[in-house]
Amino acid sequence: MSAVPTSWPTGRQGLRERRSFASVAEEHLDDVYRYLLYVTGNPHLAEDLAAATFERALNRWRRFDPRRGSARTWLCQLARGIALDHFRAEQRRRRREDAYAAEAPASDEATFGEGLSPALEAAVRSLSAAEREVVVLRIVLELDGETTASVLGIRPSAVSTRLSRALQKLEERMVSDARR
Amino acid sequence: MPDVSFETVLRELRASAPQAPAQLRERVRGLPEPHVRAFGFRRRPALAAAAAIAIAVALGAAAIQGYKGSSDRRRDSLGAEVEQQRAPTPKGASVSPSFKDAFGKSSDRGRSLLSPLIPGSRLQHYDVSMSARVEDLSSATKSAVRTTRRLGGYVSGADYSADQRAGDSRLDLRVPVPHIQQAIASFTELGTILSQRISVADLQRTVDRIDQRRLAARAVVSELEAKQRRIGLTPAEQARLSRARRTVTRLSRSRANLVAEGTYAKVSLRLTTGKPAAKHAEPGRFDRFWGDAGDILGKEAIIVLYALVVAGPFVLLAALALLAERARRRRADSRLLEEVA
Repeated sequence: MSAVPTSWPTGRQGLRERRSFASVAEEHLDDVYRYLLYVTGNPHLAEDLAAATFERALNRWRRFDPRRGSARTWLCQLARGIALDHFRAEQRRRRREDAYAAEAPASDEATFGEGLSPALEAAVRSLSAAEREVVVLRIVLELDGETTASVLGIRPSAVSTRLSRALQKLEERMVSDARR
Repeated sequence: MPDVSFETVLRELRASAPQAPAQLRERVRGLPEPHVRAFGFRRRPALAAAAAIAIAVALGAAAIQGYKGSSDRRRDSLGAEVEQQRAPTPKGASVSPSFKDAFGKSSDRGRSLLSPLIPGSRLQHYDVSMSARVEDLSSATKSAVRTTRRLGGYVSGADYSADQRAGDSRLDLRVPVPHIQQAIASFTELGTILSQRISVADLQRTVDRIDQRRLAARAVVSELEAKQRRIGLTPAEQARLSRARRTVTRLSRSRANLVAEGTYAKVSLRLTTGKPAAKHAEPGRFDRFWGDAGDILGKEAIIVLYALVVAGPFVLLAALALLAERARRRRADSRLLEEVA
């Protein structure tokens, strides 16, 4: 359990007691890593992108305004931007080379958590990045619908739709795996 | 049917949430603390400050203009009255001093302001027109006539009409120019001055011109008369002599008329017992301030409105393009994430 307080001071109090970047990074490192891991499905890539996210956060730390959202939301938004940049670069490279060398680990390797059952691991892997993204934000990081919507840049109702579709797919995949 | 509970899935996902690797933790811990500038530029506060400054400048300009306008107008109106009374007036020009408005009813003040108008060596024609409200029309009229006569003048015309409620008298007076100042001062004392107009026309230049022409004509007459006495004149010279004599006579008559005109000032005095018409209320300084400030604010609003009308469509198009680009980018991001396995 981290000793760093989980609530971010808001308003005037926030301005008075602006926390250090190091404490914020320490507090939300796991969340950012989890998010990127679910989005990329690759632990090594998630690690690199998480590091890049915190470097970008360091450069933009002055722009962060606690009154406009929590540090976790802000960091998730930055992480999403980093991930999208990476995917775009990969897409360009793939088009250029006409051969996409996937960096995904072997399917028997536990990617989304050590304690995850192989069936659930496989089911999560079968989801698209967009679906995994909403699952990690709503289920794993336990963000509310409004905050998730602000991270993804969509409406809260779209978040609910996307989440329910992802969970349905998870369920279907697990049921079909269990039948086999 | 396998037992795949929704709750179990959620619990499992949460319980198995991955931890950041130690290596990543070390990398992040190795990041330096961000450099915080004491006076960093922040866009939103800067925009808010710029908007506040623009509004303050607009209001300040309106306030300054309002204050300046109200002061200037007051000074202008007062100054114009004083200047009109002090400045020498060219021929045909008129002055309209309002002693009561500017200086109350003080005849001393009126006398001192009138002093520059009193003739010196130059021949000038004075045309004074005054109107006054009096309590007793009869005694005021008699007093005006008496004053005129005492100063050596005379009444050239009079019109007196009075009933039980109100009355008017109009006097056309001729007052010797050297005593016009005393006459005006006396008439000012008759009652409340309603209007006053003094017109001064310089006659000296005309007289000088006539004198020059008369002198030339006399020289011609003297020369021709001398020749007539010596050797006689041709018919043409006799005609010329007659013309010159007529010219001398005509110019002498003109000169005499001008001198007579400059000897007596023409005074039209109207006395009434009727109440004056309600005077148009002059706006106070506070009203003038708000009026001028309102004018400036109105102009500023027009400029802003004009800028909005001109730039509005472009700003709207830019905003729409920005929104469209954001929506396109969002859709592209979603598609990209859908494609990533």
